[in-house]
Amino acid sequence: MYGKGLRTLSISTVIVMTVGLAMVFFYAPLEAEQGFLQKIFYIHVPMAIVTLVGFVVGGLLAIQHLRTRDPRWDMRSYVVIHMSLIFGIGTLITGSIWAKGSWGHWWVWNEPTLVSFLIIILLYATYQPLRFAIEDPERQSRYASVFAITAGAFVPMNFLAVRLSSAYLHPRVLGSTSNLPAQMALTFVVCLAAVALLFTTMCKYELTAKHSRAQVRALRRALLGEGTGPSRPRGRSAAPSVHPGAAARAGTHIAGRTG
Amino acid sequence: MPLAILAESPALPLHTAGKYVAGAYVVLFALVLIYVTIMAIRLSHIERELGELLEIAHRDPLESSREPQPDPAESTLA
Repeated sequence: MYGKGLRTLSISTVIVMTVGLAMVFFYAPLEAEQGFLQKIFYIHVPMAIVTLVGFVVGGLLAIQHLRTRDPRWDMRSYVVIHMSLIFGIGTLITGSIWAKGSWGHWWVWNEPTLVSFLIIILLYATYQPLRFAIEDPERQSRYASVFAITAGAFVPMNFLAVRLSSAYLHPRVLGSTSNLPAQMALTFVVCLAAVALLFTTMCKYELTAKHSRAQVRALRRALLGEGTGPSRPRGRSAAPSVHPGAAARAGTHIAGRTG
Repeated sequence: MPLAILAESPALPLHTAGKYVAGAYVVLFALVLIYVTIMAIRLSHIERELGELLEIAHRDPLESSREPQPDPAESTLA
């Protein structure tokens, strides 16, 4: 179910990623002030954008979970937030590398964009421990959704607050896209599409892997004659249980065939 | 051609900026590589589990055929 379209998505990601990288190094002109160092922005900024959008999407999926009580939405929200956190760490590392090259420091504490992004990452770093701290799967998913919605609302507010602040030390890429030469703007858009595709593909892989594992577990329960009901104790885990309906259906189906 | 473009007027000399740019792109590559490795490990676990389950599924009918046959009357009632 989750694996549908994965092949097409993976091929598209590889193609767009290759085209993007080729454009960065062979098509986009050198920036007058920063020269070759500016090439970092073609991955750093798209990663930052995808990370922040991912956190907001995670919140929207959590709203859907609270509305429908369908555990599949919780799983999607969990995977998107998990992946955004990984991309966020990538953003921090690439940003630090750029800062070292441009400013001569790995980190500058009086730069609002850097610090606010770090705050967001640290906020979401508590998401997994929060989930792990709650043993009951139902409560875990509910509390995690509330967290995802609250933190997801914090992300755009934080972004706006930084934009409205007086200090503008950090280079503005999105705000000045219209000033970018056409070649640079096109390269940036392709790179943004590539990183967004990479993010989507990785999320889909993660969902497919989790679903497959749940199906294998259901198969094992069915073959070994163990109970498939919700009363069966589950080991403590930060990850939500995947689509128990499908897993149970798979188990019943197999039990019917083998029994 | 690309070298000629790069040699034009970089604010930071290429030998200085190059290592930072390479480092940033290596980070992206490493992220993807680590993820692919994790996925490969997971896939091998699933494959192993499926192998075990297949073994169980093949073994079960043989074991049940070795078991003593139930009384026909009992089986009818069941």
